[in-house]
Amino acid sequence: MQISINNFTKTFDGTPVIDDMNLTIRDGEMLALLGPSGCGKSTTLFTISGIHRMDRGQLMFGDRDVSGLPSQKRNVGVVFQNYALYPHMNVFENIAFPLTVRKDNKADIDREVRAIAALTHISELLERRPGQLSGGQQQRVALARALVRKPDVLLLDEPLANLDAKLRLEMRSEIRRIQLETGITAVLVTHDQVEAMSMCDRIAIMKKGEIVQIDTPADMYSNPRTSFVAGFLGNPPISFLSGIAMENSFSVAPIKLRVPLGVHEGIADGTQLKLGVRPEHFGPEGDIAVEGKIAFAETQGRENLYDVALADGSVLRSIQPAGRNWALGEPVRWFIDSKSAFVFSNDGQRL
Amino acid sequence: MRTSSPYRANLLGLAFMTPAMVLLLGFFFLPVVLTSVFAFTNMSTATGISGGSYVVTGNLLRSLTDEGLDAKTIKALRQSSYIIDQAGLEKARTAGVDAKFITEIGERLKDRSFTSSSAFERELKTLPSRPTRVRDLKIAASAFEQSVLNVRYASRGEMEAALSHMLENPPQGAVEQIATASYTGWTWTTENFKNLVIAPDTWRIVGNTVFYVVLTLAFNVLVGLFLAITTFYLPSAGSGFFSILWLLPRITPVVLYAVMWKWFTWEDGFVFNIAQDLGLPAFNYMKGSVASAWTVVILVNGFVGASFGMILFSGALKAIPVQQLWASEVDGASRWQQIRYIILPHMRWPILFVTSYQTLSLLSSYEQIWLTTNGGPGSTTTVWALEAFKTALNNYTGNLQYGLGAAMALILVAVGLVLSIVYLRLFRFDEMMSKPKIEF
Repeated sequence: MQISINNFTKTFDGTPVIDDMNLTIRDGEMLALLGPSGCGKSTTLFTISGIHRMDRGQLMFGDRDVSGLPSQKRNVGVVFQNYALYPHMNVFENIAFPLTVRKDNKADIDREVRAIAALTHISELLERRPGQLSGGQQQRVALARALVRKPDVLLLDEPLANLDAKLRLEMRSEIRRIQLETGITAVLVTHDQVEAMSMCDRIAIMKKGEIVQIDTPADMYSNPRTSFVAGFLGNPPISFLSGIAMENSFSVAPIKLRVPLGVHEGIADGTQLKLGVRPEHFGPEGDIAVEGKIAFAETQGRENLYDVALADGSVLRSIQPAGRNWALGEPVRWFIDSKSAFVFSNDGQRL
Repeated sequence: MRTSSPYRANLLGLAFMTPAMVLLLGFFFLPVVLTSVFAFTNMSTATGISGGSYVVTGNLLRSLTDEGLDAKTIKALRQSSYIIDQAGLEKARTAGVDAKFITEIGERLKDRSFTSSSAFERELKTLPSRPTRVRDLKIAASAFEQSVLNVRYASRGEMEAALSHMLENPPQGAVEQIATASYTGWTWTTENFKNLVIAPDTWRIVGNTVFYVVLTLAFNVLVGLFLAITTFYLPSAGSGFFSILWLLPRITPVVLYAVMWKWFTWEDGFVFNIAQDLGLPAFNYMKGSVASAWTVVILVNGFVGASFGMILFSGALKAIPVQQLWASEVDGASRWQQIRYIILPHMRWPILFVTSYQTLSLLSSYEQIWLTTNGGPGSTTTVWALEAFKTALNNYTGNLQYGLGAAMALILVAVGLVLSIVYLRLFRFDEMMSKPKIEF
């Protein structure tokens, strides 16, 4: 079901958290709300679920306006960060709860619960209590409970934050598999860009209560609209150089660096600019030479990660396949791939 | 210095614990021990709490008859005898009897004894120096009277000697039986418990107590829960006001609280006037009928406990993770279903606590009842603790039966202990106290 949020405004105790937001989540799509803490992503999620109410604006589930409805009447499934399983009920009762309160008959409940338990691979755990489950199992139970009554939208609030690294990888693909199998519209709230990129069809990056950019993960990565988006996506993160426009080039005078601006010609000389260079676009191959010293080296097995300190003190990050290993302090003359570098104005807008 | 520090730390710990230990011993163990001791005595105002002496009284003879002592012995005890001995002669002299007459009695009747005053007086009349007035003769005769009746003996030996002297051929064990019964001090006994079991009043009071505790407890827990849950859903400003309002019964001094209830329910009181205006039966609701008296007793105690429950339940409600409530709402649970399936299960421990704590305090509470209905009308609202209090410490007749009262109190302690154990088992206390396995 398509979910649309129109002109959504929310304040807490007089402090505006969301201001005039518009967002459409397409039918069957999994959308990530990505952003640093305090950006309003969880507020948006809880507003869709009805736990928080809009101060102003409209929320549509398909053609139905649900803005004024309490969460009981919205038919949403929510997976909370701490799962919020009911500790006094066993797994079966937990999953059956949404159907029990709807007063479905016993046989239907039993069938539905067993079907969803099979989908989430927890059929053998139905008699256990939440306290007897591992984090990943609790996560699956929470998912099953959220999905059992076939909600219009599945809302996931930082679902992987409480899991260890290995389980996080496993549940990442599991949640995506279940979402694809059920074809449900889903919203994932996370501050982890890897989670957002690997699980979702589209990502909405939020900052201070506004959506900065909404795009597919690949487009967002290769075509960020602001330096904030560029900085938020990618691991290891992008590095920035500060400079000025000079004769249709990005110029850092003290190190005699000049990167042609290409399509962005016609910028007045002396304009403050920022150049964003992803680690994979800086290394022994490229077109613009930069000299520096290895200031930091980290072995990650398949790849090595380097920080290269330039003469003026700024740092460029680089990721290189393992093999030829550079030592700490070693002077290097590496190259920036100028076609892949992003040019931003000083206030962060992409040019 | 370093090596001695653990030792000093231990001493310090002991020093910190000493006040608590002293208080525990003084205010908990000692009262229980003393109650147990008193419960197995027949102490009362009549016996005193120190030793007593040995006296055969008219009342005692009646109760001995009831116990089946033979009539001949009773008759003998009741009778006086007249024995002419040196002591009697001395006594007559001090009573101012004519000296010549005394000498004649000494010479002619020495060592003789008479079993009745008439026989002795007849004999005295034969003496030459007999007084002319009958009154003087009786005074002389009375000097030689000997009886155990109403004579106080300091020791058991003296009493037994006197009895043996009085009784000719007493039945086997009669002297010992009478001596034991004649003791006026307290003795060890298990009679208190036997008497309680057979007394018909006991079971009525037990019934009253069960009725009182169950209904007041139900009021405490249900009203406390109701208040806590309704204030939980209210906006915080309103709930604070209501919390304070409901605390009033608890923070008002108990006597003042009772007096307010009197104003509220007595003749010409608040309810009385309203009832009169509405044409409903108006009377002293506190003491006028059994039903209204019970209502007052249960409400008076109920409101005090309800505010206690409310505070505890409110705290517990705030401790429920808010995500649980959110989760139940998005799962489609209505308010009532949320309370039924999420809130109440989370409240198990506080409900256990309030139930068990209130059961025990209600079992032993009597002050509000004492200050309002005082157990009336009749003894319809008398509960066990009030009866024990009245028996031991506040008896209308003035004979305070410490022993019986202590026995009643001891039964209360035993019942309380048994109930605590039952509650702990019932609510699986150990399981509840174990560390929660789920993270919130």
